[in-house]
Amino acid sequence: MKEELIISGRENFLIDPYIHIWEWQIPVYLFIGGLAAGLIFFSSLYFIQGKEEKMPFIVKIIPTLVPLLLVFGLFALFLDLKHKLYFWQLYTTIKLESPMSWGAWTLMIVTPLSIVWSLSYLKEIFEHWQKNYPLLYKLTSWIEKLILRLGIFRSIIKLGIKQRKPIAWIMLVMSVILGIYTGILLSAFNARPLWNTSILGPLFLVSGFSTAAATILLFTKDKSEQKLFSKIDLLLIAIEIFLIIHLFMGFLASTTVQIEAAQLFLGGPFTVSFWVFVVFIGLIIPAILEVLELKGFHIPVAIPAILILIGGLILRFIIVEAGQITRYLY
Amino acid sequence: MKEKSKKYMNSYLAGFLLGLTLLAAFFFTGRGLGASGAPKSVIVAAVDLVAHEHAKSSPFYSKYIEKEEPPIKAWLVLEVLGVLMGGLISGALAGRLNLKIEHSPKISSKTRLVFALLGGILFGAGAQLGRGCTSGAALSGMAVLSTAGFVTMLAIFGTGYVLAFFVKKLWI
Amino acid sequence: MGPLIAQGVISSEWNYVIAFMIGISFGFVLERAGFSSSRVLAGVFYGYDFTVLRVFFTAAITAMLGLLYFNYLGWIDLSLIYVNPTFLWPAIVGGVIMGAGFILGGFCPGTSVCAAAIGKIDAMIFLVGIFLGIFIFAEGYPLFKEFYMSSNLGDIKVFDSLGISEGLFAFALIVIALIAFIVTAWIQNRTKKVEY
Repeated sequence: MKEELIISGRENFLIDPYIHIWEWQIPVYLFIGGLAAGLIFFSSLYFIQGKEEKMPFIVKIIPTLVPLLLVFGLFALFLDLKHKLYFWQLYTTIKLESPMSWGAWTLMIVTPLSIVWSLSYLKEIFEHWQKNYPLLYKLTSWIEKLILRLGIFRSIIKLGIKQRKPIAWIMLVMSVILGIYTGILLSAFNARPLWNTSILGPLFLVSGFSTAAATILLFTKDKSEQKLFSKIDLLLIAIEIFLIIHLFMGFLASTTVQIEAAQLFLGGPFTVSFWVFVVFIGLIIPAILEVLELKGFHIPVAIPAILILIGGLILRFIIVEAGQITRYLY
Repeated sequence: MKEKSKKYMNSYLAGFLLGLTLLAAFFFTGRGLGASGAPKSVIVAAVDLVAHEHAKSSPFYSKYIEKEEPPIKAWLVLEVLGVLMGGLISGALAGRLNLKIEHSPKISSKTRLVFALLGGILFGAGAQLGRGCTSGAALSGMAVLSTAGFVTMLAIFGTGYVLAFFVKKLWI
Repeated sequence: MGPLIAQGVISSEWNYVIAFMIGISFGFVLERAGFSSSRVLAGVFYGYDFTVLRVFFTAAITAMLGLLYFNYLGWIDLSLIYVNPTFLWPAIVGGVIMGAGFILGGFCPGTSVCAAAIGKIDAMIFLVGIFLGIFIFAEGYPLFKEFYMSSNLGDIKVFDSLGISEGLFAFALIVIALIAFIVTAWIQNRTKKVEY
């Protein structure tokens, strides 16, 4: 009988560090970041194209969500920080080689701009609420009055209305950076083979824009906007599927560690959650439903929209979770 | 009636396709189709989560919680999730997607819902006792020619016919 | 060769993805056939719509013949196929309770999921009922445990119970199904149409 026994300290539990420190906060933050980036992108894009009056919901109303989302996302990020009191130090340095620094600064610019943007459409927003959500309007109409009473807000609103064009341009560029950054943040971890691929940037950007399109679909009342965004969303889904295929092709053509990282999704513990929840429920089935809807079948548009949002959120959870398992040490 | 029934597939063709699906299930996994097992997995997981000690000491739950797999890793849960999606796609294709309570004109929506709830409770409990529902025990059982499959099928439909007379108003 | 998972041809993680795909096909066919309507389902008990009988019988026979044929070709190892064990009296009593649930609620678990998917509120309530029913059974399990485990006849097959050969039984089942199809078509023509 031939038997080999290998005794090695490497077999001890956790002798190879398995660092699992990111829980729900980071994926939620990445999801929200991508979603907000997409919303900003669409509204500033259509503003620049001069469609302010033709697509009022997208240009004027839906960006209201952005500051709320960003504040919530930043709060999630803040919860994740170990040394919470030192968060401001992110803003005492600019490190061009650090995606975290890029992200912090991008958010620093985008968040106030998105607030100014929404303030400049204050009147339209409350008119929209009054028309479509009377209860919400009743509960919040005092906010409008309060804001208008404060001089500082009044001057911000005046400035915002006057400077919309430059603000739109800055937001357009920043939204793309923000969207890519949600993926690059992970790519920058060289020691995590699953994350160490340049496809994550575009993948998260496209996925974020797709969730933004889904959010617009969910809330818009305008038929032509619905149609347009169904088409945009279909295109984004197609690109996303293409990127996912390339992600795996890239991994499988790479080194052993990356092949093993890919195996987590191709027979490993993340197979079900990825293929069923992200690819089927989050991409393919909503795509089928949207195609049917565009062909004139009667389908409540909320169904594909919600499926896309769920798929996008789960994608980030899985990538963050799985990435922390993969490593170079062997 | 004519126009409505047109939207449904020919019953024999549908049966043939369902048979192929069942055959595929056997060919891939060695087990047939099922449905009632999925809510059972969810119930077991939920009870285990809320009252772990109770679940561990109960002779029913303890049979299932030893494996320590989350319910998402239960074959039937994923299958039933698929059923949901498959039904959704088919309903979308047929233009049948809308929230409604379907009932005989002779009863109110409320009556329909009360009986639906009652029927669900009976079916849920009966499926546990009978070790599977119409899909898991009767249909899959008949396909493998198990005695249990035929017995369950006869019991379900036999009872249906016996009781049908008494609850006629619910349906026609 | 088959069943592929049991033979280790496909890893068990993919098994769940396959479960999802098979479920899609299952749900799609059920919905297409009209099983998402409780009034179609109930029709079988009143003679105005025999869809259930046709679909159910055709499916069982298709799968049965498929399994026998796959076995004949050596594509599938029938000994690895799960045969649900027969606990005679629990199966009968369980079936009776399910039958009552069927005629009162108008769905069975699989069809209720399907109907809930297209927005039938009655089906969603039926599903809630299923959860409750299972919970009640689980909590009361110690009371019925003895009965639940009684009259265990093992993994017996129906042709053994009847004392005839497998082939003969399969043939007889097909003949019965064909007769049922013809008779029910005749009955359905004679029954007053029900609008739904």
